[in-house]
Amino acid sequence: MYASQFDVGSASLFSGGGFMPSQATQTPDSGFVKSRSVQGVLPFTVKQISEAYHSNDDKSNFVVDGVDAANVRLLGLVMNKTERVTDVSFVLDDGTGRIDVNRWVNETSDTNEMAIIQNGMYVTVNGSLKGFQGKRHVVAFSVRPVTDFNYITLHFLECIHVHLDNTRPKVNVPVGTVVTPINNDVKRYQTPVSNQFSTHSGFGGSESNIYKLVLDVFQEPASLAREHGLHVDEIVQRLGLPMDKIKDAIEYHVDIGNIYSTIDENHYKSACNG
Amino acid sequence: MDTSSPAVFVNAEILKMYLGRRVRAVIQVIRNDAGVIVGQSTDGNQITVKGAQAFPPSHFVEVIGIADGSQSIRAEICTDFGQSFDMAAYNGLCQLANGKFKNLFL
Repeated sequence: MYASQFDVGSASLFSGGGFMPSQATQTPDSGFVKSRSVQGVLPFTVKQISEAYHSNDDKSNFVVDGVDAANVRLLGLVMNKTERVTDVSFVLDDGTGRIDVNRWVNETSDTNEMAIIQNGMYVTVNGSLKGFQGKRHVVAFSVRPVTDFNYITLHFLECIHVHLDNTRPKVNVPVGTVVTPINNDVKRYQTPVSNQFSTHSGFGGSESNIYKLVLDVFQEPASLAREHGLHVDEIVQRLGLPMDKIKDAIEYHVDIGNIYSTIDENHYKSACNG
Repeated sequence: MDTSSPAVFVNAEILKMYLGRRVRAVIQVIRNDAGVIVGQSTDGNQITVKGAQAFPPSHFVEVIGIADGSQSIRAEICTDFGQSFDMAAYNGLCQLANGKFKNLFL
């Protein structure tokens, strides 16, 4: 079936890249022992890390886009570099925010690696994300100067790519919920594969109408002007349609990136600039 | 950590929307005019950069600073990106970072 082909495809596509977690590591079994070696290194912006969910039961358990963000890759400018006997610390400014980075220096190779890092330099940091007394910082495994500046563009595009991959509708769940309302006449002639595409092309007439109505409300200038966007209840009131239909439509638009959630799971805002 | 003063990815068109804010743009240097750099933005328009040292013409330079006019940036940090840089890709990133994926950056 299409779904299984897709899984195989994405796993093999990313297994060599090193920055995408495999399907298996994204959803480890509860009995599975987490170790550093099975976790991928994910590219993030500092802004994403500032919004990462931090569960307190495990000292280094951060979640971004529903994925464990233990090991991260950041890219930015070095500021306020401070050298001490056992470690080097600096502030990394990636343009979306600033975060403290620590690099322990045990070996001569570590010292050499950090000696060439200067304030004002663009560097790639691979490290693990730590939270201590509410402050987030990165303990770096490696700090390397950026030599080809196209890498800056690449890094931020990778952040977007990984965000999209981690937030895209997981194949099984949303398809079923969106497809069911399509009337039976249509459904009879469709294989499961074409059902999947019908969700993207807005095949079922009434469904796509609701999608459009909901998006129109979000794109009204008055809605765009509001910092926190609109509450789900406001959409329901405006359109006089059932809550579950509205939620379906919102889920659809969030998945394809037209709107995003703001202060909580009930507030959404159009991604358009207006 | 501190996300209070981000530098927004901009081209000449997006620059206009962030007057007075901190921005970052890549320009290709056209000429240096008495302390002001005139350069081409990633979307093909002219941008002037104040308060920066001179850079060799045709070099790509990243400017981080305050947008102090609709086509002008007051530089805080400039980085020479050398003579080979993909302006089209960076311009695409500017658009993504200010559109659909703004929430990852601002």
